[in-house]
Amino acid sequence: MYTLGIDIGSTTSKCVILKDGEEIVAKSIQLGGLGTDGPSAALAELWNASEIKESDIARTTVTGYGRMKFEGGDDEASELTCHALGGRLVYPGLRTVIDIGGQDAKVISLSEDGRMSNFVMNDKCAAGTGRFLDVMANILKMDVNDFGSCAAASTEEIAISSTCTVFAESEVISQLANGVKREDLVAGICTSVAVRVAALARRAGVKELVCMSGGVAKNEAVRRALEKSLDVDIAFDPLAQYFGAIGAARYSYNKLIKQQR
Amino acid sequence: MVNEIFAKFHEVATSPRAQMDKYIAEGKKVVLTAPVYTPGEIIHSMGFVPMGAWGGDVQLDKAKEYCPAFLCSIAQSILELGMDGVYDGASALVIPSLCDTLKTLGQNWKYAVKGIPFIPMTYPQNRKPDYGVKFTRAGYERVIKDLEAIGGVFDNAALAESCKIYNKHNEVMRKVDEVIAKHPEVTAVQRSDVFKSAFFMSAEEHTALVEELIAELEKTPAGEADMGIVVSGILTDAPQLNEIFDEMGMHIVADDVAAQSRQYRTDVPCGDDALQAMAEKFKAMDNCSVLYDVEKKRVQLIADTAKARGAKGVVVVMTKFCDPEEFDYPIIKRVCEAAGIPVALVEVDRQMVQFEQIRTNLETFRDMLSM
Repeated sequence: MYTLGIDIGSTTSKCVILKDGEEIVAKSIQLGGLGTDGPSAALAELWNASEIKESDIARTTVTGYGRMKFEGGDDEASELTCHALGGRLVYPGLRTVIDIGGQDAKVISLSEDGRMSNFVMNDKCAAGTGRFLDVMANILKMDVNDFGSCAAASTEEIAISSTCTVFAESEVISQLANGVKREDLVAGICTSVAVRVAALARRAGVKELVCMSGGVAKNEAVRRALEKSLDVDIAFDPLAQYFGAIGAARYSYNKLIKQQR
Repeated sequence: MVNEIFAKFHEVATSPRAQMDKYIAEGKKVVLTAPVYTPGEIIHSMGFVPMGAWGGDVQLDKAKEYCPAFLCSIAQSILELGMDGVYDGASALVIPSLCDTLKTLGQNWKYAVKGIPFIPMTYPQNRKPDYGVKFTRAGYERVIKDLEAIGGVFDNAALAESCKIYNKHNEVMRKVDEVIAKHPEVTAVQRSDVFKSAFFMSAEEHTALVEELIAELEKTPAGEADMGIVVSGILTDAPQLNEIFDEMGMHIVADDVAAQSRQYRTDVPCGDDALQAMAEKFKAMDNCSVLYDVEKKRVQLIADTAKARGAKGVVVVMTKFCDPEEFDYPIIKRVCEAAGIPVALVEVDRQMVQFEQIRTNLETFRDMLSM
């Protein structure tokens, strides 16, 4: 039995096909999320790269910010639910998911048996989200994907004290004008995101095993800064950006199993 | 029949200006009552129609001249509507002093809205001791004096009669809350209309309509909600918020909302001196974030109510920048979760147009309660 999960975020669209709710048999990702052709491009890529046909899919769940606008899914589910389901599939002992997406951050606590027991969302401010990193990358004329390696070369991290993204932008420009090293500035920017998300995580309660999901999970500097701030190891899987889509496909599977009972 | 009654509640809840125009056309004088715990009984007894002024979902523009951005949007929108002339025709606005923002609202109102006099109702922080009761009584006497200045006439017997009318209204509101809890077919939107319309109808008219609703609902068998929730907060009247509750299959089995059930928990006691009885009522009031209580008994009440009504969770609807509610939230969460009742927090304000984050939050909470 194949189920499809589609995660339409603010900056990317991801698709995953699961076989029997466990095995990832196809996946795709495209830049462009809600309000773009990203979702249809991600689906086209999925069908091109896979031998599975659309008619083979037993059920489809859509998640992410674009879930309400997407036509063609059987169910829609919140991205927190899906990140929890997806994370738990990759890490069976998972207790805490830290999801830093393009425009918000969320922390989900799971009970021992994998049920969601608590969650908190940072949904009003760009600080502590991927958007913060994008804004800073734009000022520094860098690819945000290079932040991790750039920060690794830092010798004297520069603290970013402004909470607000707009004020932090001015602060970074001032630091550039002061002639600070780019590596030190990037390290400070990544720490700034981590510190804000760590505060959110503490509110939800942090229990190991902890993992990161979402696009920012790829940023090693943010991960390391989060580990330092929370004093825990944070697991990272290359599939982290797909956790929402994996969870959506699992959501479909769970629904089908429930119906069959 | 029941749908017709709900339609009437909806009509009133969504068109307060039409209600106000109706009362003024009937030759009555309308006195606006700002949040929270304005002495409606006194206003009613002096020949006025008290009408709730809890602001509205409007873009804040003119009010920003007087208010910083981090001020509660309920208070800001009251000022905005006043400056926009939406309340024109009202004879006065009574503002109680139960939070810091409300204290500033009255002072700003005096300068910003010239045509509608501001009447302060200054409550004591320590309402339980004798000196607190005396202070409350003095506050009511000031309100009476100001209402007399705009044509009202105070009479102890008339106040006693108004207290009876308001006590009856309290009783039916408590009853309708219980009845709706047992009728999951009543939507959150309809429930909100029942409570909100109370601000814009005379107590007698609203009591009669609520009694009709109770009678109709009791004709049909009671049911059990799949996902009962208790909602807590200052104000939960945003239509989009209530639509999301309905969409998520969440049935409100009880509320701890200042604009809803908190209003109706305490009756005026019997007594020869009706004004003293009003002060005694305020002394007896409890379980609200704006009523000083070091023991925070309201928190246990929320948990106990959730248990008693079979709620699966509590949703705290936080009005942005409402300090009294924000102070209580961590305690609510701790006590409810210790009692095995999950808690979700959503933030609202009067200028909100996008509810997608709330949808995501409540959708996740639904999954948390059901998966």
